[in-house]
Amino acid sequence: MSILEKELEEHEQLEQFMARIEAGDKIEADDWMPEEYRIALIKLISMHGISEIMGALPEKEWVPKAPSLRRKLGIMAKVQDEMGHGQLLLRVAEDLLKPYGKDRDDLMQDLFTGKLKFHNVFHMPAKTWADAGLIGWLVDGAAIITQTNMLNSSYGPYSRALHRICAEEVFHAHHGESIIMALAEGTEEQRQMLQESLNEWWEALLMFFGPANSDTTGSSKQDITIKYKIRTSTNEELRQSFFTKYVPRILSLGLTIPDPTLRFDEEQKVWIYQQPDWSKFKQIIMNNGPRSQARLNLRRVSYETNAWVREALSAAAI
Amino acid sequence: MEQKKTFYHEFEVFSKRTPSSPFQHQFSLLAPNAEMAMIMAQENFMRREPVADIWVVQREHIQGLTREEKVMLKRLDNKEYRETKGYGYLKKKWRYYQQKMFDEKEILSWSGGTKHD
Amino acid sequence: MTELNLTTAPENKEAVVSLLFQLADDDFLYSFRGSEWLGLAPHIEEDVASSSISQDSMGHAAMFYQLLEELGLGSADSLAHLRPAKERKNCILVERPNGEGDYMNVPKFDWAYAVVRNYFYTAAKKVKIESLKNSSYDPLAKVALKINIELYYHLLHWKTWFIQLFNSTEEARERMQSAVDRVMKDFGDVFSLGADGEQIVRLGLIEEEKVLVQRWKAQMKPVFESIHLPIPEIPSRTEANGRNFEHTEDLESAIATLSEVYRLDPAATW
Repeated sequence: MSILEKELEEHEQLEQFMARIEAGDKIEADDWMPEEYRIALIKLISMHGISEIMGALPEKEWVPKAPSLRRKLGIMAKVQDEMGHGQLLLRVAEDLLKPYGKDRDDLMQDLFTGKLKFHNVFHMPAKTWADAGLIGWLVDGAAIITQTNMLNSSYGPYSRALHRICAEEVFHAHHGESIIMALAEGTEEQRQMLQESLNEWWEALLMFFGPANSDTTGSSKQDITIKYKIRTSTNEELRQSFFTKYVPRILSLGLTIPDPTLRFDEEQKVWIYQQPDWSKFKQIIMNNGPRSQARLNLRRVSYETNAWVREALSAAAI
Repeated sequence: MEQKKTFYHEFEVFSKRTPSSPFQHQFSLLAPNAEMAMIMAQENFMRREPVADIWVVQREHIQGLTREEKVMLKRLDNKEYRETKGYGYLKKKWRYYQQKMFDEKEILSWSGGTKHD
Repeated sequence: MTELNLTTAPENKEAVVSLLFQLADDDFLYSFRGSEWLGLAPHIEEDVASSSISQDSMGHAAMFYQLLEELGLGSADSLAHLRPAKERKNCILVERPNGEGDYMNVPKFDWAYAVVRNYFYTAAKKVKIESLKNSSYDPLAKVALKINIELYYHLLHWKTWFIQLFNSTEEARERMQSAVDRVMKDFGDVFSLGADGEQIVRLGLIEEEKVLVQRWKAQMKPVFESIHLPIPEIPSRTEANGRNFEHTEDLESAIATLSEVYRLDPAATW
């Protein structure tokens, strides 16, 4: 430990750290940070990163099947971006993990053992082409809302990764809109396929923002992340923002939202909606969702089948 | 340099947008060696922009500053003598000689060669 | 030779169409196999990088199908998606699966096979595209000029993987050698121009198979020397010649997958 760090008392460091955060300073990977901050960042960013890698899988199922040359190209580029986002985020997480002597392989192992979780939406089946479109439109739409919420995160490397990611999300939004628009304006069967997809995904979309508070599921990281200015809005604020942005668009395409109780309360200025089944959410993120094990298996098999490649090129000399 | 046997070496990626622009840091990637880092760099970070050149630098080869070394970057704000603002009085002087002061804007405008006006 | 007499005489048009189908179907299937790898490559950064190559190749296939569309053969999308295996002209090499299992289920894909197939195929494609730059069919020559721009990266990418894996561990070398054997077994129809070959060459659409093969060997020679291996022989006969519509079961299942959604309603807009 350096002389300077020894001189400073822990609480003094913390005070300085909090003062920097309050002043809107960005924290960098090699700056001093409280353990609580580092751990919160690692949890958040490794979960975010691995969710991108796992999130590539449901859409990836439709990549070779995309129904035209243009769609094949578009969805390939989109899923490539998801892998790319995973790359950016995992790099940020890996640098935070360095003091613990951990690297990407440890993150992959944590995923396989269930220690590292991934977003609830990516445990769901993508049964039809409309699902691939809906993921691009609404799941990415929800992701844009949560990610822009952290765009100015106090952690510099995360903020920079998110700036890159959000720039590409604009393409993702258009890509998803283009697919669902073709379906919405298409044949009766195509419209029906789209409606069924919305019915299928609605609850998962609401869950995506997480529970309103820890009473619902017993744990929530949102208080710590707000305290350290990693994010600004609460889960519920983000969900409300999703309703405001997307409900009118969904309805404008003549689709029916599978929640008859959904309405905007003019007096309270909030959306009233049917709560998703949070016990189901808990089960899903514990890797007990409909496609959890299958997707983990896909990832595990491909990772292990090609372990020899990483082994072969791991020579000490560069 | 003693190196750990690992596939995951960290490389920092820099690129130039045009032949005349400066190198800019893009992001970092993991690769087993520099050659591999190079064939992955453009498609990972510059898929949607023009690229005129790329550097990949192994992070270990970058000499940076530690937290206490960063203290050396601080200095007093008393160095007007190396800046134009330390010579502002000349403007008035030149006016006395009925000449215009050559400021930065004026001098840089000469890049296209001398104009006769 | 002008474009006019190339496509006004029916036997000439037939030769142009035949060559275009070979080129289009090759890149389409090659890209399809690459797209199955998406998300499953041995390293995340490589996944991202190699997906760009699959995308470029699909882009190349689209350009060839577009030329066919312009010759009145039907829309590029229907040509790519609806033609059954018995009407396809791609080489056998690109229809082979990526390994055991499939991309939805237990994908035991073989990276050594991917590297060797992609490298050898790209080297062959580069030789053809160089020749096509001087094609007597002007629209094809123009497309070749464009495609050529992207091939430098594709080639460097796969060559780097090829050499590095060959020069690494004993296990990797064995896997690579086995992949080379499997790829070469299927290499017999890669340069074949099929039953229309004579007419294709006579019209100056592309140079003859013999010449192309020699160039490929010359290109591979320094690489093989660097890894201390003899250049593998290209078999004169293969179990099937894709250029003459002879294919394996793997092509049938590939087409079933890639056209699954399109076939739901070929008249619909997707």
